[in-house]
Amino acid sequence: MNTPGKLLYYWPHEGLDDSLKFNDISQLGENPYDIAIIGAGIVGCSLAYKLSMYKLKILLLDKNYDVGEATSKGSSAIIHTGFDAPVDSLESTLVTKASREWPELAKKLKIPFEECGALLIAINDEQKKQLKNVYDKAVKNGVTDIQLLGAKQVRELEPQITDDVLGGILIPRESIIDPFSASIAYSEIALSNGVDILFGTEIIEIENANENIKKLITGSGIKINAKIIVNVAGLGSEQLAKLYNGEPFDTNPRRGQFLIFDKNSRLNINHILLPVPTKETKGILVIPTIFGNLMAGPTAEDFLHGDNSITDTTIEKLQSLLDEASKLYPGLKKQPVISTFAGVRCNCSQGSYWIRCHDGHPGIMTVAGIRSTGITSSPILSEYLVEELSNKCGLNLEINTNATDSRPKSSWPGWWKRPFANGELFKKCPDYGMIVCYCEQISRGEIIDHLDSQLKPVTLDAIKRRTRAQMGRCQGFDCQINLAEIISEHSGIPLNKITKRGPGSELIPDTKTMKNKGMDGLNKSF
Amino acid sequence: MDSTNHFRVVIIGAGPAGIGAAIALSKHGIKSIALIERSDKIGGVPSLYKKKKGGVRTFIRWSRGGIPVFGEEYANSLKRKLVKTDVKVWLQTQVIEIETKERKLSIINPIEGKISLTADAVIMACGSREKTMSERGWLTGARPIRVFFTKQLLQLIDGNDLLPMRNPVIIGSDLIGYAAAAKLKVAGAADAIIMDKCRRPKCSYVERLYFRRWSQPNFRGVDVKAVEVVGSKTASGIRLSKDGDFIPCDGIVVCGELVPNSELALLGQLKVELPSRKPVVGRNYQMSESGWFSAGNMLGGFRGAEWCYYNGRRVARAVVNYLSQPL
Repeated sequence: MNTPGKLLYYWPHEGLDDSLKFNDISQLGENPYDIAIIGAGIVGCSLAYKLSMYKLKILLLDKNYDVGEATSKGSSAIIHTGFDAPVDSLESTLVTKASREWPELAKKLKIPFEECGALLIAINDEQKKQLKNVYDKAVKNGVTDIQLLGAKQVRELEPQITDDVLGGILIPRESIIDPFSASIAYSEIALSNGVDILFGTEIIEIENANENIKKLITGSGIKINAKIIVNVAGLGSEQLAKLYNGEPFDTNPRRGQFLIFDKNSRLNINHILLPVPTKETKGILVIPTIFGNLMAGPTAEDFLHGDNSITDTTIEKLQSLLDEASKLYPGLKKQPVISTFAGVRCNCSQGSYWIRCHDGHPGIMTVAGIRSTGITSSPILSEYLVEELSNKCGLNLEINTNATDSRPKSSWPGWWKRPFANGELFKKCPDYGMIVCYCEQISRGEIIDHLDSQLKPVTLDAIKRRTRAQMGRCQGFDCQINLAEIISEHSGIPLNKITKRGPGSELIPDTKTMKNKGMDGLNKSF
Repeated sequence: MDSTNHFRVVIIGAGPAGIGAAIALSKHGIKSIALIERSDKIGGVPSLYKKKKGGVRTFIRWSRGGIPVFGEEYANSLKRKLVKTDVKVWLQTQVIEIETKERKLSIINPIEGKISLTADAVIMACGSREKTMSERGWLTGARPIRVFFTKQLLQLIDGNDLLPMRNPVIIGSDLIGYAAAAKLKVAGAADAIIMDKCRRPKCSYVERLYFRRWSQPNFRGVDVKAVEVVGSKTASGIRLSKDGDFIPCDGIVVCGELVPNSELALLGQLKVELPSRKPVVGRNYQMSESGWFSAGNMLGGFRGAEWCYYNGRRVARAVVNYLSQPL
């Protein structure tokens, strides 16, 4: 058995159990880390997972308060086959290889995964002519298990799609996944194999970058020693690279907005529906989700780095999304939209999968431009990065025979395995019979299981991504406050201090700092 | 684990409509009635409006000459009537499976786990909820915390004695929005700005006049395609246009605009109009399958608690008729 790593948060306010607070470097031990991974998105988490199979002292850190809290949480949740990737690129090589690994990996990691297949649909003559080119490119990318279809065959597979269909391509292995569970699963295993995880920690300075042992200085002034540093900070990677004089590059975030439709809609569509791509864009997709909804998206809007409104939604784009997606599936306009969101692709102007070893100084690696394929490529990209670290950065790899590469069966998310259907589980704890989130049918038992899990979620959003409570059609109308009450009761944190995504996002404003009226008005009325 | 129980009538939802139906069925001599409620108390939405000294009475009892009462008082009066009957009440109980033709329901609760029920008739009185931001179609922008629905506001102010905002913007200008403004003011917040995509408030003049006793909210009708919620962590305002017309706030309440809770109808593949989510009902409140009925705010629209109660009683009479017909 391994000793699990430590999970700590830098949290300079009330609202977190003291035992989880990171105040002093002694909490992490005095020895330097063999490797520090900065950024706990899908790339950082999968790298920590792969490295945790070796005898290494590893630190995974992030400025947010959960894994996958930035780019990784807002995705189309598709595991791509790579059929349309740029031929002969590193991205294409990693993605096509990874897509074949996912069905087994998902079982090991207990991540809900469904091979629903995709249908590329031509709706005019121009597009019909393009089908052959798309087909040839797929074959060049090694995706040979695809099929050119006539209009009738397409309609047989998806009776509800547009009457304008002239032909299509079936890509059977395009799959859908629970994107939130992916980062969580990787990091949970890493944690149980001994990787330390530090949240709420931003690195603002790096000292001794040129030396064998480098000093990472956190925003709170704590110094962390590490021999190798990997920058997988996504949107923050450009800024971070400046701290160690890495080769300059430009982050070029590209926003993707999505519409989420209510569950009833998925009864009509089984495959991912893809338009024929143009030179400029892959177009707007209709995507079944593993949770049982349909999504339409994404848009592709380039942003200046650092723009605060990058995850905002806009009415013009949402309306055009609906129009575009309806060209493939006209019934979509009748389906109720339950939510909208915007995700960000972390593009790099210098190229995708822009990876540098000894960047600026020996023992520093920069990974940028993992644009929209990070979840798909993660199992193979992380392997590739481990090799690079071993070959080029001198990371010494000695297998840790105690390490595990999978999660226990009990890790399947509740919404996937439906614990209330299991009489045995109910006998152990009546909480599995108490439904808190009515829309997604999530029980109090599942929520408490997660609150007690090793990678302890402490925010409302972290609980939401693990349990799906608040993600249904009512968007928390019925359960948000009940959920906050459960967290409060279970952790002893007052209800008003429960946050959505860490300090500064408390449920209730701090009454002491409010100038307007103050507590007097409140006391009088109650 | 699965034991089967048979009832003459199963009612889903113990709000005013469900209770109204239960009481009326009982008065008509129907034995073996089950009333299923997913929350931990009966009374539905009114029960969330707690009785407080100096608080705002938001429920008007038209049957008693128009006296305003607290929602909780109204819910308690329904409860007093219900306890006199022998209706079997299940609290904290959720319906999770429906077999429509057999009129069979699977329910779960923390005491008994999963149980199956059958019934000769089922009344769905599942109520309604407020439209989400996205469902309204004109609220975009960021997704910070402190964007609450009215139900959450009540749970915080009345249920937990917490004031979730000092300078509120209320989206939605119907009765619920004006009641929320009064509620917030009494709890210690400033007068709200009530915003809606219409020229005049949807709340009637008389109702607005009633709430002026507690608060004088400013109505702001917006004539733009959409407004944007601003705030990276907590809600900090609403942007009306690109040119910067900006209304600062420290919290937003998304009020009114009810949509029926018709998901159980969809689960049972009963006909539901989309995207309005109204269950399709024929004469006598019968849904698209024989023996299935719908009552109260689940029918769609915007009705008060007392209307729902009397509607529940009407639906009960239709159910009694249905049960008395030879099969």
